[in-house]
Amino acid sequence: MKILVCIKQVPDMESKFKIADDATWYDSKDLAWRMNEYDEYAVEQAVQLRTQVEDSDLTVLCIGPQRVQETMKKALAMGCDRGVHIDDDNSFQKDPFEIASMIAEFAKDKSFDMIFTGMQSQDRGSAQVGLMAGEMLSLPSISTVVDFTFEDGKVTAKRELEGGIKAKVSCSAPALVTCQLGLNTPRYPTLPNIMKAKRKELLTLSVADLLKVDSTQETTKIYFPEKRSGGLVLEGAAGDLADKLIQILKENTGVLA
Amino acid sequence: MELTREIYWNVGHGLTTLVPMYLLTLVAVALLLHGFRARVKVYRQGKTAPRTDQLAVRIPAMLKSVLLQSKVARVKGPGLAHALFFGGFFLLFLGTCLIVVQADFTDLLFGVKFLKGNFYLLFSVVLDIAGLVAIVMLGGLLVRRYLVRPAGLESGADDLIMHGLLFAILISGFVIEGARMAVTELGTSLALWSPVGLVFAKGLAGYSEETLRAVHSYTWWCHLLLVMAFIVAIPFTKFKHIFTTSLNYLFADIGPTGKLVSLDLEDEEAESFGASTITDLTWKDIFDTDACTQCKRCQDRCPAHNTEKPLSPMKLINQLGDVAFNNPEAGLVEACDKDAIWSCTTCRACQDICPAAIEHVNKIVDMRRNLVLMEGEFPGEEVMVAMENTEVNGNPLGIGYASRGDWAENLGIKTLAEDPQVDILYFVGCYASFDKRNIKIATAFIKLCQAAGIKVGILGKEEKCCGEPMRKMGNEYLYQTLAAENVELIKGYGVKQIVTSCPHCFNTLNKDYRDFDFDIPVTNYSVYLQQLLQSGQLKLNSAEFACTYHDSCYLGRHNDLYDAPRQLLEAAGGQIVEMNKSRSEAFCCSAGGGRIMAEESLGSRINVKRVEMAVATGAPTLVSNCPFCLTMFEDGVKGADVEDRLSARDISEILVERL
Repeated sequence: MKILVCIKQVPDMESKFKIADDATWYDSKDLAWRMNEYDEYAVEQAVQLRTQVEDSDLTVLCIGPQRVQETMKKALAMGCDRGVHIDDDNSFQKDPFEIASMIAEFAKDKSFDMIFTGMQSQDRGSAQVGLMAGEMLSLPSISTVVDFTFEDGKVTAKRELEGGIKAKVSCSAPALVTCQLGLNTPRYPTLPNIMKAKRKELLTLSVADLLKVDSTQETTKIYFPEKRSGGLVLEGAAGDLADKLIQILKENTGVLA
Repeated sequence: MELTREIYWNVGHGLTTLVPMYLLTLVAVALLLHGFRARVKVYRQGKTAPRTDQLAVRIPAMLKSVLLQSKVARVKGPGLAHALFFGGFFLLFLGTCLIVVQADFTDLLFGVKFLKGNFYLLFSVVLDIAGLVAIVMLGGLLVRRYLVRPAGLESGADDLIMHGLLFAILISGFVIEGARMAVTELGTSLALWSPVGLVFAKGLAGYSEETLRAVHSYTWWCHLLLVMAFIVAIPFTKFKHIFTTSLNYLFADIGPTGKLVSLDLEDEEAESFGASTITDLTWKDIFDTDACTQCKRCQDRCPAHNTEKPLSPMKLINQLGDVAFNNPEAGLVEACDKDAIWSCTTCRACQDICPAAIEHVNKIVDMRRNLVLMEGEFPGEEVMVAMENTEVNGNPLGIGYASRGDWAENLGIKTLAEDPQVDILYFVGCYASFDKRNIKIATAFIKLCQAAGIKVGILGKEEKCCGEPMRKMGNEYLYQTLAAENVELIKGYGVKQIVTSCPHCFNTLNKDYRDFDFDIPVTNYSVYLQQLLQSGQLKLNSAEFACTYHDSCYLGRHNDLYDAPRQLLEAAGGQIVEMNKSRSEAFCCSAGGGRIMAEESLGSRINVKRVEMAVATGAPTLVSNCPFCLTMFEDGVKGADVEDRLSARDISEILVERL
């Protein structure tokens, strides 16, 4: 069984974000990088499937600059067999259509039986790439998966809907699923696997070989939301807090009038 | 009258005595050696460990611990009783040796007798009193074990055999002496030099010489057989501690205190890391299990055990021993119980008090290493998250690394990247860098240094976690990654002196980093400030206040720093009311051993228990010297619901108010 998992490297969300000079993306200075959270669920599920089905081969694919190889190493340490890095210093400028088409271009002649992606990225959050890639490859795609089973070539997945409702969806492989929080607990790589990962095949491809389409959309501006009147945090002993609160209510509202 | 006695009186010194006696001795010693040979085979299952180097240090340390019973006697009561019993029994052993030497060697071969005159009198009275002391102490220990029985003291067949044999040997010895004296010494002044024997002699005085001689002869042979039984029993009962514990003093860890062995993670041959089976431990680890006498001192002091968690350091050592001797194929983690292994705070209370020099903590960390490095397991998901946070942002709190130096804005200090010409590098640590409460420690320390005219630099966003919590939690790989990065960075700036305000950072930089070719001096802030105070560079306006002081495990037991912090507090006007458990007996705050990253879900809360001990002193302030402790006490004060009676503070906060 051939499995593909697509991951993205994103900044740690605790980082201090600054808008880049051209105001179409964030400044990459002083950021710590890690694997997109939803992609961790995708990798974990792919590794579980790889273990479940004998003679499987799991490829991890990532698009981005040189530094994404660090994140790919983690996926390899978690249990992926080989890595494919599409080296692109400007991946952050590519729209979801271009990213999806690169994935599809890579995957089209590899006859993957299953493709896993995260539901969305933590930085751009378009939630389009996985589904578009599935469409381009003419595969059935199931999004927002929180439970996944594979048996006799058949995928059965639970999807998370609004309001806590779940939907059970099934399809035949080959298929693509996008993974949501709650699907699994990603494993912590063991030391032997970290060491093995260093020696695993990591193929680098150039964007030019895979990017055959033009962008369809453009990010014209990114910005922090305008500050509304901020919240007020009162600190101190309970008695003093009550006094302060009364004072504020008296001064700023009419509720005590 | 000559001041001596006839050796082998009544039993005779002919071949009918000597042949059976020495044959029996030979057999007994052979059985003893045979018993230990089997045990040595078990020890040798373990990996090598360099514990026979530096004999010039090891041998005196062993002699002190054995002959002066210095470790045993640290606990008054039973410890002192054991020490005195040992002293008595040891003197009797020496006395018996002297008899053998004279009767069967010097006298037999050269006609030389030395047990005579004043030396004999001394010999006689000393041995009599030694025997009495041994009997009284043994009686005391018997009462403690079987009548009073403190909680946790478990007794088995071994203990019964040991008490029985020892009593029988000691009493029969006095009966022999009494019977002999009743015939040969009663009424002479010589008898006064055997005061205990005299009591026995007077008790037997009514019998005929014939009866006394029969009693003497019979008891003599019984006594001999009992001693032979004792010798044979040594390797097969807890008596083995006579040898194993004594030798364990020789093989003891001679420091630096508590320093873990660094794993060679690049070892291509290694199939496994950490300890999962008995062969993953060292021979010393297995030997340790044989040196344990189940005195339960470790268990009495273990913060996990005292808060109803499933860890007893004693039981853990015994479980490992059981695996080594009876079930060598068994998994160590299963034998010791995962929850027990994760419960340890590496506070070292067990190891510090252990009268057998057993090393508990490294075994626990070795098993954790196996769980983390080979299985990817942690005590909880929150710990895994903290590990991942550290991988990404260099701190377990998960805060963006770039803001690590933000606390120092407006304090007038620079990072080494901006200006490497400094008097000291302040290695801030994660909690004092990011945690709002603990930033006050960092700020106070900077102000104190500035007041003393010291130019301080920090690493700012380049600093990473020292790796201590990760290492103690078993993640040697992450620790070594962090250590290598910090070492390279610090060495690159040509730093001359490092000061830390976190004892965990201090211990790690000062001991663990030495494995990374790192030789820059590292000082803890309490020692550093104390030096500034002594040299007159730092001046404090003393203002009286009452407080109690908590010795953090990593400043106290791990580094023996008890006085500098107290001197600082006293210089600031502090009237320290000590808690019952202080200095080397201090009770952990719960955050060591990487537990700062873990939820405390089992048993009751360690920090609350410690806070309650502080409250019991009546002092309004609990002063500590560690960001982990401060974090735990802030929480514990709320948990114990004593916010109106006790506030938790760091030494630096007290000092900075008195500039």
